[in-house]
Amino acid sequence: MPETAEITQVLQAIGRSEEGAAEKLLPLVYAELRRLAAARMAHEMAGQTLQPTALVHEAWLRLVKDGDRTWQNRAHFFGAAAEAMRRILIERARHKSRLKHGGGQSRLNIEDLELAETTPDDKVLLVDEALARLKVEDPELERIVVLKFFGGLSNEEIAETLELAPRTLDRQWAYARAWLFRYIGEQK
Amino acid sequence: MSTRVPREKAVFVEALEIADPEQRSQFLDQACGADSALREQVEKLLALSQSAGDFFKDCAPALEPEAADAEQILSAAESALEPEIPKTKCIGPYKLLQKLGEGGYGVVYMAEQEQPIRRRVALKIIKQGMDTKNVIARFEAERQALALMDHPNIARVLDAGATETGRPYFVMELVYGVKITDYCDQNRVSMRERLELFMQVCNAVQHAHQKGIIHRDLKPSNIMVTMHDGVPAPKVIDFGIAKATEQRLTDKTLFTSYAQLMGTPSYMSPEQMELSGLNLDTRSDIYSLGVLLYELLTGRTPFDTTDLLKLGVEELRRTVCERDPLSPSAKLQTLNNEELTKTAKGRHIEAPRLVSQLHGDLDWIALKCLEKDRTRRYATANGLAEDIERYLHEEAVLARPPSRIYRLHKLVRRNRVTFVFGAATVAALLLGSITSTWLLIKEREALRQAETARAKEAQLRREAESREKVTRAALLTSRENYQEADRLLGEIPLEKPSIEMETVLRRLGEWHVVNGRWREAGERFGALDEVNRRLNNLDVTTMDFLRLGPALIESGDLSGYERFRHDVIARFAKTDSLFASRILKSSLLLPANQEFMQDLQRQGEVVEKNVGAMDRGGHAAVAYEGGWDSLALALLEYRRGNYAKATNWCHHCLGYPLSLPHRDSTAQLILALCYWRTNQNSEALAAWNTGWQKIQDRFQRGIVQGNNAEGFWFDWIIARILSRECQELSAQAGHR
Repeated sequence: MPETAEITQVLQAIGRSEEGAAEKLLPLVYAELRRLAAARMAHEMAGQTLQPTALVHEAWLRLVKDGDRTWQNRAHFFGAAAEAMRRILIERARHKSRLKHGGGQSRLNIEDLELAETTPDDKVLLVDEALARLKVEDPELERIVVLKFFGGLSNEEIAETLELAPRTLDRQWAYARAWLFRYIGEQK
Repeated sequence: MSTRVPREKAVFVEALEIADPEQRSQFLDQACGADSALREQVEKLLALSQSAGDFFKDCAPALEPEAADAEQILSAAESALEPEIPKTKCIGPYKLLQKLGEGGYGVVYMAEQEQPIRRRVALKIIKQGMDTKNVIARFEAERQALALMDHPNIARVLDAGATETGRPYFVMELVYGVKITDYCDQNRVSMRERLELFMQVCNAVQHAHQKGIIHRDLKPSNIMVTMHDGVPAPKVIDFGIAKATEQRLTDKTLFTSYAQLMGTPSYMSPEQMELSGLNLDTRSDIYSLGVLLYELLTGRTPFDTTDLLKLGVEELRRTVCERDPLSPSAKLQTLNNEELTKTAKGRHIEAPRLVSQLHGDLDWIALKCLEKDRTRRYATANGLAEDIERYLHEEAVLARPPSRIYRLHKLVRRNRVTFVFGAATVAALLLGSITSTWLLIKEREALRQAETARAKEAQLRREAESREKVTRAALLTSRENYQEADRLLGEIPLEKPSIEMETVLRRLGEWHVVNGRWREAGERFGALDEVNRRLNNLDVTTMDFLRLGPALIESGDLSGYERFRHDVIARFAKTDSLFASRILKSSLLLPANQEFMQDLQRQGEVVEKNVGAMDRGGHAAVAYEGGWDSLALALLEYRRGNYAKATNWCHHCLGYPLSLPHRDSTAQLILALCYWRTNQNSEALAAWNTGWQKIQDRFQRGIVQGNNAEGFWFDWIIARILSRECQELSAQAGHR
């Protein structure tokens, strides 16, 4: 698999934190995730689900099988992987939403949204929209949410990735999700 | 709202930690004070946080397999990923993936190549307004030379072409990295490490120069630093592109297109400023390397870029061509304190030490690169790198003519401990005379070392120069500029033979041949044989015998031919080789004495065995190889005086199904010779006539190089030599 070597190489190349490193990595990681997801979807039985967490971790393991394992690289990788998963999930949700509503995208709002009944797809779209706003307010919070919500990373992993104390991360995450939830509720 | 977040977050996270409602309320009173809006929002957030926790409980929504539309969704997602890619997502065989950068020259994309190998490449599309056809033609002219470049610090240029809209594009090895100057500044790279990176750049440039490629546009943005196993490695990109996209520097283009294309004029050498723009060589790159060194050392270019661009064209040219730049250390002293401190800090050094470190050797090295007169610059990038290495080892550098004091100064630094000890002893003993004697001895030692270093440098420079000349000669011959190549090659000693040199010598020899200059051809083929001898490729060597032998005879140098064929026998008489028939043919063009014939015994047996084996094998190649082997045997037997056997071999040769005009006529001529020797004059005349006709036809067009099917020039010259022998025999027969 030629990409593996290439991604490892890119990871090494951007070992020192470089502006835009994650963006450079994105297409490579995306290709890998896409490949994995497609392969799984083709083979799994209907009704079973693919966890992004599993996908991202599997991609990571494949990439570092005999490569570099420094956390620095891992941070870049997870950043890119979570962003890639986000795009995969959004497109999928939009696609399904279009099928369901016969075209035009319908806005969901929290009034007629019983939380228990919110489908994962609705959630994805709502969160994505709110995130765009959060990014303006506080880019670091946005990164945390992307890693958490789309990348499926654990708090410990995110803390390590972003070089934050775990306690700080827990508090940031608590604020971020409350903020998002409030924002979603306000968008009537 | 945006100013609210930091405070709101701070208050919220603190409040969340407080479980007791009353305490929490107290805390909020305190924290929000009179800001009731803030209080309200924080309370709302706190109220929502439970539901928010539930809402986000299942993070990372699962992907359900829906085989039917999975592929479609994924492709849609993929295209959402590439907003910047133009509608035509493919250019030639390259699929665009992502935009990497943009500049005056055009746009660079990351692209994927599928065939012949799957790999990611950088694709650079040159902006509109260039003459695509010429750009590509110039690239094609250099493609072969570019393909020869293989260096870890050079990004390979893989391809060039035109987009559908007619813009030229280049395909290069994909390099992830940062501009060398940015890398050094961002990482506060020390002086030594900067110099070490720079030396790697020099070595890469030297490699290209040896292949005859001049970069013409060396500047920081063309030198990327990538991390390789945690070690920074520079990569020079865009080799060959400046050449291909070259535009004549005229007043009009200087600022409109040239400045944009080339970026900064700061890195352009004085000769690049000249209007002709044609007279460029490797030393222009040395100048640009000097500017790079200058910038790595001081953080500034010798002439300020913005200042330069403000000048008028003439003024700009005059500045670069006439004004002497400040030395790096002097440049630093023109900075204000704050700038100087910042520059020094970026190099992990204190400001005064930075200035004193530059002062002296590094000043001279940089200035030597920046000489207006290119003959005064370093002759090669290697020479430059070596001088820096000498500086790093505290040895005498070549950049300044060494003076006694300078060398002593160096010596003192290198042997600081000894000197301190020596100085103390000396002071204590107050033995002035001993000191001076001792210093004198040491100084002589230093002088000797400096001279050895200089001699070595001179030799390396000579070698590099001759390599460079060979390369240039190779390029010249490939463009059929033989005259210039021949002149160049005349200056090169044959110290270090290379395959390149072999090719050049052969081409030049043949050039002399087709122009009928046999003596010069003989000289070139003679030199070629010397080179072959060292490269030791038997196939090539024996093939070239067929060039050298006939050339010597045609130039009338018969004693030279005798020496040649005795040398051939001395070298190969005892070797069994597949090419024995070439040895026979090239050494039997003229009659030979018995002793000589005996030395060829072994070769004859080898060839005979070859023919036997081939005839039995019945392989398709037999008609070709077997024919030539039979011809060689015919000649051998004829020279031995075995005319019947020789006649048989001639018939054997002519009997193969493949008919080659040159071979057939040669066989006819040997037949004719045999007939004369056996007094069958009319048969002889007929055979001679057949052979002679073909020779006449061939040389009607003058001497042409030829090919396998029509015969090379030497095949026909061999026939002509034998035909002359026929003429002599016919004259003798006439007398009888």
